[in-house]
Amino acid sequence: MRGILGSAVGLGVVALATAAGGSAQPSGQQVVLPGPVPYPTDSPPLLGKTALPNAYLGPLLHIASGQRVFVGVDSEGRVARVVDRQRLLVRGKGDYQVAISAPVEDVRAAAGSESEPGLRADQVLWAGFSPGRKVLAADVILRPRAAEPYLPVRLKVRRDGDRVTLTATNATPTGEMLYAGTTSPPELARLLDETRRASLAGRRLAAAYATFVGLVRVPKQKVPIEAPLRVEGELRLPGQAPFSFSRTLGDGRPLSFRVAARGGGTPKVHLLVRPSPVVRLLRPPGAETWVQAVRRRSLPAPFLLRRLIETRMRLVRADQYQSFLSNPDVDGRSRSVYEYDTVAASASPGVSAAPGDVGGGTSALLVVAITLGSVVLAGGGLVLWAHL
Amino acid sequence: MRRSAALLAGFALIAVLAGGCGKQSAASGGNILVAVDVPVTGDPYIAQTIKHGVQLAASNVSGTSGGVLVGQKSYALKSKLYDNHGSARQAVEDTRSALGAGAVAILTDGTGAAATWQLAQQKGVPVCITYDGASGLVDPSKRPNVFRIAPTDHGIAFRYAEYLIPKGLKIGLLHDDSGYGQEGASDLQKAFSRNPRSVALRMTLPAGSADLSAQILRARRSGATALLAWAQPSTIAALLTAARSIGWNVPVYTPPTGSDPYIRQRLADHPSWIDGLTFASSRLTAEVGTTPFENFEAQYESAYGVDKVGVKTSAGQPVVEPPEFAMYSYDCVNLLAAALTRAGSTDPRKVQAALNQVTTIGANGDERGFNQHNHEGVVDDDVYFARFHDMTYAPVKDDPLSSTLPAIPQTR
Repeated sequence: MRGILGSAVGLGVVALATAAGGSAQPSGQQVVLPGPVPYPTDSPPLLGKTALPNAYLGPLLHIASGQRVFVGVDSEGRVARVVDRQRLLVRGKGDYQVAISAPVEDVRAAAGSESEPGLRADQVLWAGFSPGRKVLAADVILRPRAAEPYLPVRLKVRRDGDRVTLTATNATPTGEMLYAGTTSPPELARLLDETRRASLAGRRLAAAYATFVGLVRVPKQKVPIEAPLRVEGELRLPGQAPFSFSRTLGDGRPLSFRVAARGGGTPKVHLLVRPSPVVRLLRPPGAETWVQAVRRRSLPAPFLLRRLIETRMRLVRADQYQSFLSNPDVDGRSRSVYEYDTVAASASPGVSAAPGDVGGGTSALLVVAITLGSVVLAGGGLVLWAHL
Repeated sequence: MRRSAALLAGFALIAVLAGGCGKQSAASGGNILVAVDVPVTGDPYIAQTIKHGVQLAASNVSGTSGGVLVGQKSYALKSKLYDNHGSARQAVEDTRSALGAGAVAILTDGTGAAATWQLAQQKGVPVCITYDGASGLVDPSKRPNVFRIAPTDHGIAFRYAEYLIPKGLKIGLLHDDSGYGQEGASDLQKAFSRNPRSVALRMTLPAGSADLSAQILRARRSGATALLAWAQPSTIAALLTAARSIGWNVPVYTPPTGSDPYIRQRLADHPSWIDGLTFASSRLTAEVGTTPFENFEAQYESAYGVDKVGVKTSAGQPVVEPPEFAMYSYDCVNLLAAALTRAGSTDPRKVQAALNQVTTIGANGDERGFNQHNHEGVVDDDVYFARFHDMTYAPVKDDPLSSTLPAIPQTR
């Protein structure tokens, strides 16, 4: 399935390219660009092992999903528990009977829920009638081992004497197939501007096409595509002032960072991770818009095409991480925030404490922040393009 | 001779191939017994409709569908009827007998379920309640073998609070002193506890009393502008008689017992006294439309005839009762069949566990199922309100859910 999804665009391109190759003269063909779907991998959203019952959603109903994924990590940053507080806002009048697939250990109604969730093997169930507006909220306790591979960030905490380092790494990169061919810079510039507007507005991508003349080539080598992530948080040691940090992982910036602090005791980590828009890679060079940039100076069409495809893939990947658990309304808006916190080693599975329970210290802490320049995607993209 | 042998071999080969190509039916495993424990002599209408629902589903499963596939074998579902007389003590005896007879599940109206579930659980046998909505009867953590497909008292009480409080009525909360009335009163107490101003009085009525004049007079003097009566059909009939005979046209609201044919039969000489009576129950149709319920009703009527109420409309048309509670027992048997198949075993413990994991399409077109946290097959959201007019009822128009529901034909 993953392979099918991953190569869906490529197959479409190959089909189109074959058709184009059969004609006597090269002619323009509309090639579908990435987004809004398919996602490059099956998960997220998480999937359980059992077949879902038939779902029913009244034709007038729409569901928005908001999730806060509480990730409890041990003193070394390993995932110890995962609880997804999912809040579904049902709008419209009608019946609903939906199931959410995931590696579910248990589920309970969360504050504000106007109904009780049901539990089956690897399924959370909701059934009822919406009189116009209804809130369905649940704390879904997930099996940590099954959920961990799909969390957006991996943490590593190391102590070396009185020095503690925290490394946070964007775990979302996946290999995707690009495609290349002869295209029109003004059209690509327009599409880049459209993509940028959608990204900055936080809107889901709309389907879009680019005109290719002649063959569409599909390079053999996949390129890594990540979901850009906004990471904010702090590292705290007992008796010391917390060290706060804020980074974007991806979008042409490094995919990991490291912070260090000095002091004794058990380090406590608190992180908020949000899938974020592509900003940096969609910034037009030396102009307000890509259209203006193309008018001012000659930007190579292959560069524009590659930038367009890669940024759209990043937005699709970011959109994928907005649904850690699926939204039963496939067209509904979904948002996810991932909250990592250090939990006690003996903590039993359950709902973690509310966010914001990390207190402040009283004395100064020697902090060294080291940013790891692991991958600069913008530069990398240009280099790759140069080798095509 | 050689040619004959070749021909024979050819025919044999064709026969083998034909046998191999054809659809193979599973070997017969025999019968699976489902016990039905209902108050045949206590509440014949409820007993009969539950029994018919079970028999119809068992007949469909065993006949049309070729039996329940359990592992590699196909079984016929057979039901055995027990009469609990509406007595918990008798229900315990019936449960012992059913377990002794090897029942894989027990369907009941709910009589004595608080006592019988433990006996059944000793053998892992699931108990499915299809009438009594009392809170506490069903609790997946404490009574893992008890399931229910019927509107719950809790759901009805809270839906009534949701429906009536915004109307600004001063409600008289009445209940009779039967077990049913007391259970309902407890849920009404909880549902209205946050809005005590909307309650004009709370009063217990003597169940079975034909004259409630004094109680109704007291309710009227309390300033009540509506009565919500959680009581047996006979008490509701007596209440309506007492109120209407003194010219008090107070709106009366009831749980599902308000739709019991007994009330209409008792007040057949005064059809207008029934007009405006509102009851709550679980909806008979889903958003997918009326077709599934109509199909079920047609099957039911074809097998058992219509359930005649025994009264007529003003136009002289005989009134019939839609097979509401038959629908619940019908759905319960279908879920049981699905659980047997999923369990791949007739071991009641495995069937009980599988009941938490299966879904079927119910007689009204809704999906029906239980889960590990909830053994209620009717969700509270499905509670609707219907009001009588001319001896038949139709969903009310001033409730979001009810307003979406069509009226079910009740005349023949």
